[in-house]
Amino acid sequence: MIGEIQVDGVLIPALLALAVEAYLVLFVLRAILRRLHFYRLVWHAGLFDTALYVVILWLTALVSTPFVLQEWALRWLRG
Amino acid sequence: MQLTGKTVAFVVANTAAVLMALYIAFASDLERPYWAVFTVFIVANPLTGAVRSKTVFRMLGTVTGAAMALLLIPPLVDAPVLLCLAISLWIGLCLYVSLQDRRPHSYAFVLAGYTAAIVGFSVVNTPNAIFDTAVARVEEISVGLVCAAVAHSVIFPQNVLEGLTERIDRALRRCRTWITEALAATQSSDLEGQQQLSKLVSDLQILYEHVSFETSDVPRNASVVGALQDRLALILPRVSGVQTALAALSAAGPITRSTLQAIEAVSHWARATPGAHGAPPSDTGSEVRAALARLTAESENGAEWSLLLQRTIATQLEELLTELSEAVWLADALKNPYGTSVTGPRLEPPSRRALSTDRGLALRSAFAAVVGTLIACALWIQGSWPEGAVAAQFAGIGCTLFATVDKPPKVLFVGIVGVLLALPMAALYQFAIFPRIDGFPSLALVLTPTLLLFSWMQASERLAVMGFLLAISFAGGLALQESYRPDFASFVNTNTGEIAGLAIAAVVTLIFTTIDPVWNAVRISRAGWHEVARLVERPNSDIRQWTLRMFDRLGLVLQRLLAAKRKDLVGPRIDGLRDLRVGINLATLQRSSEALPAAVRHSMSPVLNAVADAYLGLARDKALAGAGTERAIDQGLAVLGAQAPTRTVEDALTALVGLRLDLTAFGSRYLPQPVHS
Repeated sequence: MIGEIQVDGVLIPALLALAVEAYLVLFVLRAILRRLHFYRLVWHAGLFDTALYVVILWLTALVSTPFVLQEWALRWLRG
Repeated sequence: MQLTGKTVAFVVANTAAVLMALYIAFASDLERPYWAVFTVFIVANPLTGAVRSKTVFRMLGTVTGAAMALLLIPPLVDAPVLLCLAISLWIGLCLYVSLQDRRPHSYAFVLAGYTAAIVGFSVVNTPNAIFDTAVARVEEISVGLVCAAVAHSVIFPQNVLEGLTERIDRALRRCRTWITEALAATQSSDLEGQQQLSKLVSDLQILYEHVSFETSDVPRNASVVGALQDRLALILPRVSGVQTALAALSAAGPITRSTLQAIEAVSHWARATPGAHGAPPSDTGSEVRAALARLTAESENGAEWSLLLQRTIATQLEELLTELSEAVWLADALKNPYGTSVTGPRLEPPSRRALSTDRGLALRSAFAAVVGTLIACALWIQGSWPEGAVAAQFAGIGCTLFATVDKPPKVLFVGIVGVLLALPMAALYQFAIFPRIDGFPSLALVLTPTLLLFSWMQASERLAVMGFLLAISFAGGLALQESYRPDFASFVNTNTGEIAGLAIAAVVTLIFTTIDPVWNAVRISRAGWHEVARLVERPNSDIRQWTLRMFDRLGLVLQRLLAAKRKDLVGPRIDGLRDLRVGINLATLQRSSEALPAAVRHSMSPVLNAVADAYLGLARDKALAGAGTERAIDQGLAVLGAQAPTRTVEDALTALVGLRLDLTAFGSRYLPQPVHS
């Protein structure tokens, strides 16, 4: 499996930690975009946010790859 | 039932969410995939914001409840009695806290309570598995939640605001009719309408909490909604205030021409104001303002009762005009958040607004939950009943759910019918269809028609509860596992456990929380009378919040009286509108007397104290109107009448006249007299 993070003896999948972190980033980003009235230009805000979330998750996974991911996952990400 | 686009969107989104949750749960080897299915049906709501807020609070509650079970089980597992006591007390505590808050937040506490029971009671025989069970529960729930939230926000989302603005429009239209009818004095008091308006104002707040969870394109306008609530809550007391003054005026003598003209102008304006086309609030028709100004000018400089009444009518009409036009403007601003450029009324910053809550009843419900869970536990332990754990879980869940329901037996009955209908369907799938299929695609295929049917039932107003219960008991009955294991004995056992638990919950809830609606209405009113008196004790309390709370209470009282078919009880004792008027007048009097000279201010305090005493007396079953109050108010009127007529003095004077109208016997007239100091 993909790497795991150990918190006080409990193993937590790294993907879960990344997913939560990506959501927090999305939360902040949404607040900023809303302040800028950006969503008036978006046709489908729900779809946009979901896509944005996936992009953020992918980016954070990419950035954190050297720290948590195993060798095979690295190869897969690099294609 | 109509098959609109909205219904289709909801049905499709919900079915997709269920299948998605099921697939993920199977693919990641979760222990009980049907918990994910439950969850999707529980948070399902045609409004996206409601789904998303419920998702957040359910997640928080589940994690808290599972953590509580982790904390309680290991030390107490060898002492079953203590364990049962601890878990039922936890359920009671959570229920009590959740009943203190009528906003969506309370759902987190509901979940925290019974998740502890669900996790805790299911592992007592295998305490080593507590950690795994708790984690599994959280995992299954969160899979269901995430699937529901994503599906409902991606597949044709519908936002909370659309339905809300339509209801606001309806309320505003009704307010206009009220104004015209009340001013034409043809109105028989429309108690149902009052109750509906009060419910709308409270719902506005509860529903608006969902908006902060909406998809990002929905504008957040909490201050507009707050201001709109304030205006809507004031319209009824104002209208009834004008009505009371008018009745007193016609009892005192003939009504003057200018009064009639002013009333006619306002009522014409209320009838004719355009629905909402960005009209600025100042543009309220110059002729109406002129008619009001004429009335004020005519009744100035005089302390006779009829002149005072005319001035009061003029002030009240003016306030009414401002409030209605601001409400129309605010409703419009809510609809087109980017549209209007005209500056509206100054918006107060949104404050934390508490709706009225009933501590006593919450305590009874919490007690009922504790007792219900304990009874099920006693049966389980004493009877060595293998499925007793299920009964105890469902007793806890049932008590929590029934606490917010008007008629628990009716819901229980619908629930049992739901279980009885769903079980044959589940059995058909379990024993006839599943043996013949293999793999997820075919499972999805055979489940889809049933899921579509349940989702469609949930979308319709009439069948929503039935559809929900059917879906839940169907999913529970199927107990979809990764591999197919037919076991008829445990199938029947578990389901009897559920029904027994719910039946215990219904009986206990009935015993502890059934109260006579009329008695309850009196209780709620009494709490309101104490709040009127408290306004005097704490001069700086927030009158906006007070008004909303009292208006909410008015709706609750009327709802109970109407349910008991006792409209006749609204009268000299129970009259929420009068209490509202008195409170608003008290606040005006307090506010304006602060700007008056000290001597005048001191002469107002006997009035305030007399009103507070009258209301405390009312709460102790005495009559409201008393000679002492009348004397104090007349004294105050005499003092104020001797002052130079500034704006502040006028405000205080009209407030006093309003108080006199409400707190003295009908037909009693103020006679100007020299001031005694």
